[in-house]
Amino acid sequence: MTRNFGILPVVVILLLCSAPLAIMYLYLVVDTFSNTPAGSLIPNEFTLEHWRFLIDTSLVGNVWMATFNSLLFAVAMVVIVLTLAATGGYAVSRLNLPFRRFFLAGILVMHAFPAVTLIIGTFLVLNFAGLYNSLIGVIVVKATFTLPFGIWIMKGFYDAVPWEIEMSGVQDGASRFTVWRRLILPQIKPGLVALGAFAFIDGWSEFLLPRILAPATDFQVLSVFLNELSSPDSMTYDFNLFKSVGLFYTLPILLLFIFFQNKLMNIFGGGTKG
Amino acid sequence: MTLKSKLAGSVALGLLAFGTMAVQAEDRTITVWAGGTGETGIYRVDAIKMAAELLQREYALSGKDIKINIETRTWSGWDDFKQAVTLAAESGSAPNIIVSGHEDIGPWAQAGILRPIEDYVDFDAWPLNQLYPNLIDVASYEGQIWGLPQDAEARAFYFSRNHMKAIGYSDADLDALPERVLSGEYTLYSMLDDVKKMQDEGVVEPGNGFAPRVSNGPDYWQFYQSFGGEMVDPETGKLVLDKQALTGMYQFFVDAVDKGVVSPTYLGRDFDDWHRGVVSDRYGAWHGGTFHVKQWESQFGLEDFFGTMQATLIPSGGEGGRANSITHPLVYLLSSEGSEEDAELSAELVTIASEPRINVLHAVKSAHLAIGTAEADIPLYANDRWLGFASKNLLPHANAIPNSADFGAYWTAMFKGLEASWTHTTSVEDAVKNVEAEAVSALGDKIVVR
Amino acid sequence: MRARPYGLGFAFLGPSLVLLILFFFAPVLLTGVFAFTNMSTATGIGSGYYTVTPSLLRDLKAEGVGQAADELSQGAFVVSPETIEAARAAGVDGRFVDEIAAKLQGRSFENSSEFQRALKDLDSRPRAIRALKLAMDPFTASVLNVRYDTRDAAFSAISAAAPSLDADAVNTVVNRAYTGWVFTPSNFAALVSKPDTWRVVANTIAYVGATLAFNVLVGLFLAIATFYLPRSSASFFNALWLLPRITPVVLYAIMWKWFTWDTGFIAVIARDLGLPSFNYMKGSVASAWTIVILLNGFIGASFGMILFSGSLRAIPMQQLWASEVDGANRWQQITRIILPQMRWPILFVTSYQTLSLLSSYETIWLTTNGGPGNTTTVWALEAFRTALSNYTGNLQYGLGSAMALILVAVGLVLSIAYLFLFKFDDLISSPKIEF
Repeated sequence: MTRNFGILPVVVILLLCSAPLAIMYLYLVVDTFSNTPAGSLIPNEFTLEHWRFLIDTSLVGNVWMATFNSLLFAVAMVVIVLTLAATGGYAVSRLNLPFRRFFLAGILVMHAFPAVTLIIGTFLVLNFAGLYNSLIGVIVVKATFTLPFGIWIMKGFYDAVPWEIEMSGVQDGASRFTVWRRLILPQIKPGLVALGAFAFIDGWSEFLLPRILAPATDFQVLSVFLNELSSPDSMTYDFNLFKSVGLFYTLPILLLFIFFQNKLMNIFGGGTKG
Repeated sequence: MTLKSKLAGSVALGLLAFGTMAVQAEDRTITVWAGGTGETGIYRVDAIKMAAELLQREYALSGKDIKINIETRTWSGWDDFKQAVTLAAESGSAPNIIVSGHEDIGPWAQAGILRPIEDYVDFDAWPLNQLYPNLIDVASYEGQIWGLPQDAEARAFYFSRNHMKAIGYSDADLDALPERVLSGEYTLYSMLDDVKKMQDEGVVEPGNGFAPRVSNGPDYWQFYQSFGGEMVDPETGKLVLDKQALTGMYQFFVDAVDKGVVSPTYLGRDFDDWHRGVVSDRYGAWHGGTFHVKQWESQFGLEDFFGTMQATLIPSGGEGGRANSITHPLVYLLSSEGSEEDAELSAELVTIASEPRINVLHAVKSAHLAIGTAEADIPLYANDRWLGFASKNLLPHANAIPNSADFGAYWTAMFKGLEASWTHTTSVEDAVKNVEAEAVSALGDKIVVR
Repeated sequence: MRARPYGLGFAFLGPSLVLLILFFFAPVLLTGVFAFTNMSTATGIGSGYYTVTPSLLRDLKAEGVGQAADELSQGAFVVSPETIEAARAAGVDGRFVDEIAAKLQGRSFENSSEFQRALKDLDSRPRAIRALKLAMDPFTASVLNVRYDTRDAAFSAISAAAPSLDADAVNTVVNRAYTGWVFTPSNFAALVSKPDTWRVVANTIAYVGATLAFNVLVGLFLAIATFYLPRSSASFFNALWLLPRITPVVLYAIMWKWFTWDTGFIAVIARDLGLPSFNYMKGSVASAWTIVILLNGFIGASFGMILFSGSLRAIPMQQLWASEVDGANRWQQITRIILPQMRWPILFVTSYQTLSLLSSYETIWLTTNGGPGNTTTVWALEAFRTALSNYTGNLQYGLGSAMALILVAVGLVLSIAYLFLFKFDDLISSPKIEF
């Protein structure tokens, strides 16, 4: 870019604004590995004791089962959302459907819907389907809530693919399904990756739905686990322990983020106007 | 005990008489959920496990090989627990036995979630025939007894002996304090004056003179009663909103804030911090449950309760009020879930769990009070100084919040009004008016406004 | 291909539609229906039953229907030839019934405990207490506290027990004996009449407005600032500001609690600097509001940052180079070239964020939980607490659904408005392949 003026003032202001964030995340990592005397901010000893909960289940409970449940939840979310959004996005973007405009308008409206206020109704539907207090029920509900966003994103990516590819495929005699599978899908791989990463993150972080719709301890996911641990009624209000469990909880997301940062940043790049 | 073997024999014969096929080895599973139960309250569910053990042995005497598995789940708070129970009941997955506060009997009975326990147990037989009658009343609703009292407690006002002595009280004065509170001589405003003095003389940090409960709880109804309020009209059975008492109560907390002995944004703080503050002698006066003493001793390292603290009833607010305490017993409830056999088995289990020697373990471990006369006689209980003090000085003057399907709405409105006045968001009169509006709109003519 | 023009389309969109209808629209419909009921924990979600309770009788007495109340409150246990027949018919053990007939014929007992004591004296009584209680049932004609599952059963039982009531009166009693939920329009009236509601509305508007301003302005600032930075530092800041959005909300809440608590970062620094040191999250109304806005702002700013960065890159570089040649400074570049071309993204972010802020309450719930008193309670949080989670366990599904419905209506109106604003037609181009 241009170098008309120094970038220093900009950097300073940016740093000031970002300071709270930087501090919080820095201390997130630091505190889990150290002890700080009360009333001070500088840690005085390096220790691994806050991480003992990984091996000692008596400290906080069965964190590995909760991890497994969260993993199951997030992976299922990815599978369902990717499949349905990839197909649904293609349908609204490229296929000739009756009421296509209606679907699209509906998706846009649902996208911005206050979905979490519908929990009582959702509870009843799940109850009717016999899926209350099961992981499958929560997965299905969460996937449904994420679907409008997913379809919209995928539509954006599909829109950016030139029509010529499809036309040439169709002229060569392939069915539209084959055209989609062989020619179009590879074109939107970045979109699939971004959406998949986002769906995983969303599923991994989901807190309210599992807490209300699947309260049984067998299905406890890490988010609920961490929240119960840090509830004000719990025995020890030890921020360092909460942070270690929390950092353990966030690890997969941070990893995903590091690997897919660019793709995530471009998730809207597919085709929203601007 | 002959009575027990008689009961065992009856149970065995009864089962035969019911015509159930005498299966050689049978596996039964009973689920128990308990709310508001932390480390110290674990005997609430462990008592059921002990009862299952005993019952298995009783069955074995008559040749039955029945294995009873108890699955338990506890919640340390109340919000999540009550939501889980309600939704589980709607979806048909409620537990067999629920341990909850008695105030849930009203709404849950009306919703059809519970089976009345009086249809399944004999109150003339041991151990239920020695339960305190007022506890049985607390577990009743609409003329039926729905639950078995699981524990009893009272809520007390506590003073720091060190700080009171620093402003001029002697040991003898402090020992006489409970009497003065009971007679109405020492009021809430006397307390405010005392803690203000503590702050002025630097004995206590500013803002730490008075440390009430940090969140909603039955405790706050005590202050309503201190100013002469009644929660329920004994004749008509309707709930009562006494505007004068409510105004007095809200005004008291506003005055406390204005005097600087408590922070305006006090509500919403953290229990853990409060416990620590109590044990480290940070506060001049505070209030809590009798069971908190055990928590302070076992979890927070309190060493000499009687040497460092003095407990009394909640003082009266002045003219027209009275010193009082609220007791919030928990009850064992049978849910409507499960078969008749499961219900009978659950009923037997909770009956045995009310056995004095089993229940006393919970009482002593968590500093709750005895549920029956026999339990109060057991040496483990009788020799406990604090339990004796509480039973003698606090419990006789304690009453419980009413069992009503509609009380919850009134309670929520009352606490909202308290928060609004405490934080000075609204004036006291406006807050009381809002409470009246909300309670009347939610309850209609089920509440009487005075 | 022409034969099934829509086949693939429906196959592709079908499963999504099914899920959406089942788990999105059905709950919306249900919420709409419940908003007009008085459903709560006490009434239960399923259908209720009919039962005559002592308080109902007390009310009847107070309303002047005393005689009927007395008749209905007859709870005696009578041993008479009829009741003995009934007992035999109900399957009570033959020998036991005989003994009752022999020893207790003609007696009546005021309540169940007396009857139970008398029965326990008999030799052939069943040993299990439950069996004994079941055997007692046929001996009373009381309707008190008996549960009737259907209206007809209740009607006939009450008419039989209280002959002094005519059909209309029995109907009234049956109606009042119902424990389930009924339809009622009073939820909305109740909401309007409570002054508390308006405070929550004011809170919501303040919250949405302030956080929106923060999101858009800071997002814009971030996008433009990182635009001018070299790539490496730009991506550092991008990554840092993206973190709040991807951090799980539970952990994010814990981090902010650590930051603002009595023993937390700000408090310690403030004490060292001599500034007021207290619990910044809950300690005062002003600080609670600031923290809440910052909390949500940091999450929301990243959305703006991503979008604005994307559209910044779409601005032709030539314009900026040309302006530099002409001697424009940075500020002029921003205000004259960049911002005018960002109108659409800014509008888009504003509308999108308004809607998501309206319905967000998780972060507030996990941190201030409505703030000191109820000062940071927003509409969505209040609806959640009313319907699903509060201390007394008194969940009012009907009222909560009414509040949710209002939110849904507002959201719907706003989203349709922004659909029109963005010229929806432009977003759709007809498919270029006809099949």
